[in-house]
Amino acid sequence: MAKTLEKVDVVIVGAGAAGSVYAAVLAEAGKSVLVLERGPARKMSDLYSSQIWARRLKWSAPEVVEAGPDSIWYNFNAGRGFGGAAIHHYAVWPRFHAEDFREHSLFGKAIDWPFEYTELRPFYDQVQRDVGMSGDAKQEIWRPPGDDYPLPPVPGTNHGKVLKRGFDALGMHTAPIPMAVLSQPYNGRPACILDGWCDAGCPIGALANPMAVYFPRALKAGARMQADSVVTRVLTDASGKKVTGVEYRTGAGETVVQPAAAVVLCAFTVENAKILLSSANSAHPHGLGNSSGLVGRNLMCHPAVGIYGMFKEEMQNYAGATGGQLLCQDVYGKKSDPGGAFGSRQWEIGLVLKPNDLLGIAMSNPTIFGAQLHKFLADGARFMGSMVGVCEDQPSRDNRVELDSRKDANGMPLARIVYTKSDDGKRLWATAAAEGVKIFKAAGATQAWTSPPGGQHIMGGTILGTDRAASVLNAQSQSHDVANLFVGGPGVFPTSSSVNSTFTAHAVALKGARYLASNFSSVKS
Amino acid sequence: MDQFSRRTFVERALTSSVMGLAFALPTGTVLLTPEEARAKDVPLRTLSPEVAQMLEKLGETIVPGATAAGLTHFLDHQLSGDPNDALLIARYFQVALPYKNFYAAGIKTADDMARKNLQKPLASLDSNQMETLVKSMSAPGTAFGGFPIFLFYMCLRSDAVDVVYGTPAGFEKLNIPYMQHISPPEGWNG
Repeated sequence: MAKTLEKVDVVIVGAGAAGSVYAAVLAEAGKSVLVLERGPARKMSDLYSSQIWARRLKWSAPEVVEAGPDSIWYNFNAGRGFGGAAIHHYAVWPRFHAEDFREHSLFGKAIDWPFEYTELRPFYDQVQRDVGMSGDAKQEIWRPPGDDYPLPPVPGTNHGKVLKRGFDALGMHTAPIPMAVLSQPYNGRPACILDGWCDAGCPIGALANPMAVYFPRALKAGARMQADSVVTRVLTDASGKKVTGVEYRTGAGETVVQPAAAVVLCAFTVENAKILLSSANSAHPHGLGNSSGLVGRNLMCHPAVGIYGMFKEEMQNYAGATGGQLLCQDVYGKKSDPGGAFGSRQWEIGLVLKPNDLLGIAMSNPTIFGAQLHKFLADGARFMGSMVGVCEDQPSRDNRVELDSRKDANGMPLARIVYTKSDDGKRLWATAAAEGVKIFKAAGATQAWTSPPGGQHIMGGTILGTDRAASVLNAQSQSHDVANLFVGGPGVFPTSSSVNSTFTAHAVALKGARYLASNFSSVKS
Repeated sequence: MDQFSRRTFVERALTSSVMGLAFALPTGTVLLTPEEARAKDVPLRTLSPEVAQMLEKLGETIVPGATAAGLTHFLDHQLSGDPNDALLIARYFQVALPYKNFYAAGIKTADDMARKNLQKPLASLDSNQMETLVKSMSAPGTAFGGFPIFLFYMCLRSDAVDVVYGTPAGFEKLNIPYMQHISPPEGWNG
């Protein structure tokens, strides 16, 4: 029989980026907050500088079944343990553009958000002040209106300088890449030391991962964080109109009921949908909050292409902030792609290269082996350049999270992903790949090549919308069906844009968290 | 853009450390690098001697130096534990759990390829024949007998690159600073 604990005001499921924002705002508003995380507790001192050890920050089990035909690269993109996926993210934080919120109204494509950029702008501005973003807003000629960054750009290396030549030669504009990485000390946190280990986790807190910014605030305000707690169901009252708490399994295999006046799911895109689908009951026979039938639907993932090249100069590619040095959004207009595809693209220029791992020097050309591989690595460590093209994906109801027939050790069904890249996304990828090679050659590359198609940033599955029949959540990230159930993270995005998702996930979470804090008495069970 | 000098990078480079893992010996659990575990002939827990020999032979052909760096002890250690603790790149490629099944199928398929294409078991191939075999595995998208042998090749290649080049000692071979942000504590460091 399940043990039932004392009721709290808010249970937050998932200790990642969105969960950290909700926890800080609600705890500072005087609510009793409990954060349940399925993965391990983690301290900053656990973040070892190694691509090998960093794999423990990412997903592995229970298995997320990718049924194809394409992959969303779930394990690589997701996280586990305190900090979630944001503990290993690169902290490249451009904003969505105004047209990303109104693609259906403006172009008859995709889905409109339930609010426009102007409504989200103050939350972007607040978050960038909270985390201490670095960049140069004036040089970002494509950037929508917003406050200047509090800090100047993160310093670069010869890597960025050399690649910039190619963009300059082709008449393309670049700007310092906006990052949630401190270029100078800020609010008691130290500046980045440019060692290029961002994705192994930044133990000094220069990168704004959840353990560096919002969770310390939440803990100071009295929030509690609990690891090794796998939420299996969100519970409701008999009417199904209010959630009453969650059921979770401890690491010791005990089943526990945690009553709560409100529940916020921040367990990342796939897990949020899985928990809602697994919480079906007589009042919600197709899954909690799923009267639209769209829980798990409209899953998106940015098609991404890596561009690699060898140059004559020493690139200093082993150092810097991992996510890059420069940004180009010249092909951001939805109809500006020379290949005629609909959607936006961007370039992240001058990513740090380490010898090993998925995005390292060796893997950039996996066909090389034997004695040639050592020469390739030795040359690459000195002369190789790299950038990534990120392309917009289009929402489709056919792309989905569903429950597999197999179950994990806690008796929960495995999540099963059915995903096909959009035609527009594939075409954007193809023109980006050709353009990237051209840019590298213009920059002086003696040889240039591309990665195979990859995927970055997982979005959708619990999308926001005005129409309750066409979305899962309203403009405040609140379930259309259940007033005291909220969802945070990139899973709430109705469109993907082509920018990295974490800044917008923070901004939308801050919007939802403030709404919940201000309306708690009318929302709670 | 502000530039950061190479001298500054080098000044920030820290001394090398190695990849230490916990290996069980009759005298108790000790922390060893895979290289040390191989040198001490620590018994393998999951890989059979035959499979280990074939993995070693393939790995050495793909990344010279992988044998001495302890590739098979690294793999055996990683395939014997909790998949959430695994340090294998297989997790990034959505390889189905348990990972040991994938490695077992991969080495069997490589052996099948050798027998069919070179008329010899993998264990009997000479170095030229090993190169021929690896070349046939390394073409993107290659499958054999329904098994994604290119994916297996990529995983094994990455494992071998990890043990040879992914450590501070490996960075030194490439003459680049490791710039260790934070030292692994005792228990992680051999």
